[in-house]
Amino acid sequence: MNLVAVGINHRTAPLEVREKLWMSSDEIRAAVAALKGKPFTECFIVSTCNRTELYGVYDANGSSGTSAVPDINLLKDELIGMKSAGSAVKREHMYHMISTNAISHLFKVASGIDSMIIGDIQILSQIKDDFNIAYEEKAAGPFLHRLLQSTYHVGKRTRTETTITEGAVSVSYAAVELANKIFSDLSKKTALLIGAGETGELTAKHLVGRNIGGIFVANRTKAKAEELVAALGGKAVDFESLHQMLAQVDIVVSSIASEQYVITKSDVQRAMKERSHKPLFIIDIGVPRNIDPEANKIDNVFLHDMDGISVIIDRNVQKRKSEIPRVNEIILEELTEFYNWYNSLQVNPTIHDLRTHFEHVRHEEVEKNINRFSAEDRELVDLVTKRIVNKLLHLPTTNLKNGNEESEEEKHKKLHIVRSLFGLHKQQPPKE
Amino acid sequence: MKTVIDTFTIVLPVLYFWTVWAYAKAFFKDSVLAKRVKTPLLLITLAVHLGYLLLRTVLFDHPPITTIFEIMSIISFSIAAAYAVIEFQTKVKNTGYFILILAFLFQIFSSLFIEDLSEVKPILRSYLLGIHVSSALLGYAAIAISAVYGFLYLMLYHHIKSSRFGVIYTKLPNLETLERMSMLSIVVGFSFLTIAISVGLFWLPRAFEHFSYFDPKLIGTVFIWAMYGVGLGAKKTIGWQGRKIMILSIIAFAVSFFSLTIINVYFSAFHKFY
Repeated sequence: MNLVAVGINHRTAPLEVREKLWMSSDEIRAAVAALKGKPFTECFIVSTCNRTELYGVYDANGSSGTSAVPDINLLKDELIGMKSAGSAVKREHMYHMISTNAISHLFKVASGIDSMIIGDIQILSQIKDDFNIAYEEKAAGPFLHRLLQSTYHVGKRTRTETTITEGAVSVSYAAVELANKIFSDLSKKTALLIGAGETGELTAKHLVGRNIGGIFVANRTKAKAEELVAALGGKAVDFESLHQMLAQVDIVVSSIASEQYVITKSDVQRAMKERSHKPLFIIDIGVPRNIDPEANKIDNVFLHDMDGISVIIDRNVQKRKSEIPRVNEIILEELTEFYNWYNSLQVNPTIHDLRTHFEHVRHEEVEKNINRFSAEDRELVDLVTKRIVNKLLHLPTTNLKNGNEESEEEKHKKLHIVRSLFGLHKQQPPKE
Repeated sequence: MKTVIDTFTIVLPVLYFWTVWAYAKAFFKDSVLAKRVKTPLLLITLAVHLGYLLLRTVLFDHPPITTIFEIMSIISFSIAAAYAVIEFQTKVKNTGYFILILAFLFQIFSSLFIEDLSEVKPILRSYLLGIHVSSALLGYAAIAISAVYGFLYLMLYHHIKSSRFGVIYTKLPNLETLERMSMLSIVVGFSFLTIAISVGLFWLPRAFEHFSYFDPKLIGTVFIWAMYGVGLGAKKTIGWQGRKIMILSIIAFAVSFFSLTIINVYFSAFHKFY
């Protein structure tokens, strides 16, 4: 299989290096257009914040008939050169894979087991988008097309047949997961966000994503709160009214920089009385902590800080890791499937399948009609029909066999047409 | 017919065993097969159980309330049936294990010791008495279920508070739902007890010569009924929520359980038949 992959990811390079190779859609478009033809017959690039990878199919016969495996180091240099990132990115930051390894790597990427956060398969849609660019640039031919089909399949199956994508593994999601264990319907609850920090904002976003009934934002500088509210929907409230708000909302997310506790135990106690002890879920992601941990001792108050949240995350990461063997099984199955397809594109199996198909049709018809012939003619019928089939197939067979001087891509196209014309992709029923 | 009943007596606990096993497998081991079969299995068990009770009624010509072991079978049925109703009402399907295990235990005791009585006191042949007893038992079963949910609530409550995120945390429904299930069971239990007491008060005085309004069992049941009534009223008016009301539901059940046990064991009155 004439496939080569070079790339950079979170394992081989730190963020400040790998971000130098990140490509926008337009950059990908230009790159695949440049790489198509020389050295590749087909190619595509996928680029996310954690990885940039180039996959290329080369023509083993080359135009001159000699082997044309591309020089890996040159490829790496070319990628670096395209982004003029030579000062930051070295060849050593990059990896390469050939043939089977490249395919199984792509499958691993699509399944999320190669992601920085294991099981994160947002990359699947990124692959889809980036592949479409290659497709539009006519850089993706039948081989990559089929390869990408298998890749999506791997991603889809991973999502439906394993639980590797389940369980929150980020602070913001874990907080929402916890809220869902206390309340049954978030759309009937309201939340208060204290501070405009990034994690707090993300948590608020997830709460909005789960249809939280209402969201309030309190920040020392109200302008910032209003800015956030504009993006989230909800209402900015005065920082001074924070303690009154405690009696009204059901969820509090706090991430504010403060030397002292913003909310004390007695604040919460007062609020609980006012809200007639309706459960209150407080998540304190501030460091140092914003809320007196003693507040957790009050009835119907659920106070969690970063430590508690990280327990959930660790547990979910472990659970996801335990799914890797099942994902690997899926990858192996899809690899086998892909090879079967690939092998079928070789000349000899195609000729064999074609002949089997014709023989099958001939045999069936002869069997059906054999009784119309007298006993002595039957052998003759068999012989004559065989001869007809052989004559019909003679020219196609030699043409297929003599296609060696064509490029790999041309050959694949031709075999592909023959197979789809005669329906050879489906397994032939075994004779007798 | 006799052999049919005997077969049922053996088959029922086996069915309950498999049902409980499926619910346990689904809860603790996440088994896909168990998840698929548990509810159908419960319905089959309930159907067989209902058939069994009706068959006994017809064959022995009296409702199956004449011995403590017949009563146990009805308790078992009541618990399982009440749970099935709650499962369909709330669509929460993974707490069955904690409840159905009670049904299984009652049925296994019943099946081990049950006898075929065809000679019973005429009063026990009354079908109105059958309604009275069944609704009382359904009521108590529902109250027991509410206590189980209260217990599950408190477990999850403490696990969340102390950041223990194990099986209890992952598998149980959320606190609000558990509270709702417990409260729903209390409402169901309270309604059945209301029926039982109404039938008892209006009909039984006519059937018994020695009927007394000071019968300990009657007083006990009315007391339990009133306790739950006051609790429900208090929740509505004062708005008690969460941990407190769940603790109360467990205490109420414990009080009910002990008072009934004590009454049954130590006080003998017209209300005692075996």
